[in-house]
Amino acid sequence: MRNRLTIGIAGAGGDGVVVLGSLLQRLAASQGYFSQMPRYYGPQIRGGASGIKLSLDTTRASVPADVADIMICFNWDKYAELQQELPLGTDSVVFYDSAAPTATITLPEKSFQVAFSETSKEVTGAASAKNIVALGLLERVLALPESLSKVAAVEDEASALLERNRLALNAGKRLLSKFPFPDLKLSPSRDASPKVVLHGNSAIVQAAIRVGCRAFFGYPITPASEIMEEMQERLGQGNGVFLQAEDEIAAVGMALGASLTGAKSMTATTGPGLDLMTEMIGLASGAEIPVVIVDVQRCGPATGIPSKSEQSDINHAIYGGHGDAPRVVIAPYDLEGCYRLLIESFSISEYYQTPVILLSDQRLGQTTVATNSSMLETDCAMVERKRPSGEYREQYHRYEMTDDYISPMASAGDEGTVYQMTGLAHNEKGRPSFDFANNQRMHEKRWQKLAPLRDRDELVKVFGKEEARRGIVSFGSSAQFVLETVEYLGLQDEVKVCIPELIHPLPRRLGSFVDSLERLLVVEMSYSAQLHHYLRSQIDLPSGTEVYARAGGMAFSRKELSGPITKLAR
Amino acid sequence: MSEASNYRTEVTPVWCPGCGNFALLNALTKIVLPNLGIPRHQALIVSGIGCSSRIPGYVDTYGFNSLHGRAVVIAQGAKLARPELTVVAIGGDGDFFSIGAGHLPHAVRRNVNITCIMVNNFVYALTKGQTSPTTPYRQRGEGPFLSLQFYPPVDPVLDMVSYSVSTGASFIAQGISTDPSHLASLIQEAVKHKGFSFVNVLTPCLTFDPPWLFKTIKEKVSYLKEGEPVGLPDSSPEQPWLHDPSNITLALKLAQTPVLEKPHIGILFRGKEL
Repeated sequence: MRNRLTIGIAGAGGDGVVVLGSLLQRLAASQGYFSQMPRYYGPQIRGGASGIKLSLDTTRASVPADVADIMICFNWDKYAELQQELPLGTDSVVFYDSAAPTATITLPEKSFQVAFSETSKEVTGAASAKNIVALGLLERVLALPESLSKVAAVEDEASALLERNRLALNAGKRLLSKFPFPDLKLSPSRDASPKVVLHGNSAIVQAAIRVGCRAFFGYPITPASEIMEEMQERLGQGNGVFLQAEDEIAAVGMALGASLTGAKSMTATTGPGLDLMTEMIGLASGAEIPVVIVDVQRCGPATGIPSKSEQSDINHAIYGGHGDAPRVVIAPYDLEGCYRLLIESFSISEYYQTPVILLSDQRLGQTTVATNSSMLETDCAMVERKRPSGEYREQYHRYEMTDDYISPMASAGDEGTVYQMTGLAHNEKGRPSFDFANNQRMHEKRWQKLAPLRDRDELVKVFGKEEARRGIVSFGSSAQFVLETVEYLGLQDEVKVCIPELIHPLPRRLGSFVDSLERLLVVEMSYSAQLHHYLRSQIDLPSGTEVYARAGGMAFSRKELSGPITKLAR
Repeated sequence: MSEASNYRTEVTPVWCPGCGNFALLNALTKIVLPNLGIPRHQALIVSGIGCSSRIPGYVDTYGFNSLHGRAVVIAQGAKLARPELTVVAIGGDGDFFSIGAGHLPHAVRRNVNITCIMVNNFVYALTKGQTSPTTPYRQRGEGPFLSLQFYPPVDPVLDMVSYSVSTGASFIAQGISTDPSHLASLIQEAVKHKGFSFVNVLTPCLTFDPPWLFKTIKEKVSYLKEGEPVGLPDSSPEQPWLHDPSNITLALKLAQTPVLEKPHIGILFRGKEL
């Protein structure tokens, strides 16, 4: 009996790899199992390699193991393309469809050729249900409770699909019936309450809707398109404003236009789109217009590797654009963070009247996670935009100097507060002004209004023992691998981990964390170590600081991070 | 203070004396807004960058002098989020036909109910006299184009007015800044029109255009009046072509007439309203 199992599935596009993984994830989730399922796909639109890794866990949504405990393979040629991301171990149990692997792949001892396709043809007349046959086999091997009937009661697409393929599913359950797989049985879930299944991109959409975002403008781009598509579903039926723009410049420009009228507005993109939005980010910063921009980071530069994760947009997010244009950069490191921090992004953007860039990444955005539904119900107070009232209303000055540098913002359309704004240097009234003292004061206003954010301790997560003198700073999805590896190595007492969610302005808590260390390790997925350079520019780092930074593409593994983390603890 | 002057802010325009932009400013603040009775808070003027784009600072409605070429996208976002606003995007030929040209066809096909006013002075004036996409094309040696006498424009004019007609814009008009009351009537119709409307305003740049340019345009102006003959070569006294703004084929012919040959002033096309 296992508390945690990792299942890999590989095949060609069209083999139903993702459908199989998703069905298994949802069946397990309906029984209370936590899970994470990253997707691996290549540049092909159809017919390329397709793979998933699914970690089923009784206690938390853990990162899948480096090496799968069980591997289902429909196509060895396609598997070879994904071998780096889905390696086989000597203990892996492999079930593969009719064709034998090529000579370059060494099969582990426990490998079984299973006629998924043949069985599917026999019982349904077509090979297309081979993934459902495999699902039947997996259900039996894992000894998942008789979940299907329970799920099938729920009227949704997945269970309808299963209903139609019940013959295939049952046939799968009878495969290899003479082999017992006692090692691969899953322990009963600790808490049988059904888990919700969603990916980071979807969590961002659900948070946006919850917080009252009713204006979304986007442009298709991998791996952020799911945000636009789901926002279209949510807002498309008269529930708000949705528009697929002609480019990212238009998308963010329209979001700014909507924001001027008081609407909470948002756009989502990835690196190349963020490039195009840069001029507008400067405008939003200078003219103090709230807007939330989600950047689901992928490998750069240029087109890079569109379907793979990287963390190399920090520089652009913090500094992108000409002039001194302050903005806020926030980065979730897990699914819950995608939800909570999107709400936080709106709060900060609206309250401080500033562009906020939410730096997600492909790994977070497209990995489906099964977790407690309470995540979507947590109390998350939204701080609203300050509106002119009382004395501010009588003689309205859009950029009036206040104690906290935040000037009440009227919405275009509001009576009695008409004003004109400009991207030119401007005075308190919003009039163009080339007075140098005024220019200095307005810069001070835009920068100083964000200063209180540096005291947002709760936007820095710290794990481990306070007295530890060895520490790691990491962020985004990579931080999950850092936490897993520290635990895997049993170094929780020696090594503490700090994960900033608020990246810019940098919270003071980062400084105090680093000050408590003798040795620091920075872990990030950026060849030039952008996080490390940013930290160095903001705080003093211990002389023994080490950096583990590399280009993106493949996710970190426990094995990979064991080296630098063991060295840190030594 | 009269109602009309309520639409002007106290800010003094940066424009050169006699600039055509004054005509547009007056048309908006003294005629269009008062005539339509639009409350100041119910209008939003978004502009790009250029001489004419300074206009939001001078009109006491909500206003935004934004980025070069992007007025039309910001205007669409605002209109979609708050439909009761009257939203006008203003920019120059550089804004609409060059740096922001990619946005125009999409605004046309989307048919969001906003009005775009392009102040076409045939030159980049704010940056002191470089060629714009509408600068008349002249062969080297054929005649100087003021500051461009040594390097006259070598690329043909980009004609996005006829392009907009051909892509089915909902409302297209061409006005001239030397006739502000007629210009105001066109803008008024454009604002009233339910759907995307585009007004091309022929304007002299007194500083950087050669004097002959606008002199030629003024001399050759031909006013379009519904039901009356149009100034096209195919229209003869025996078989006159009568102006019909709902006829898109006719509108295309009018739009395609080079502005130095026959500038047609009036409503070129008025399609179905939303």
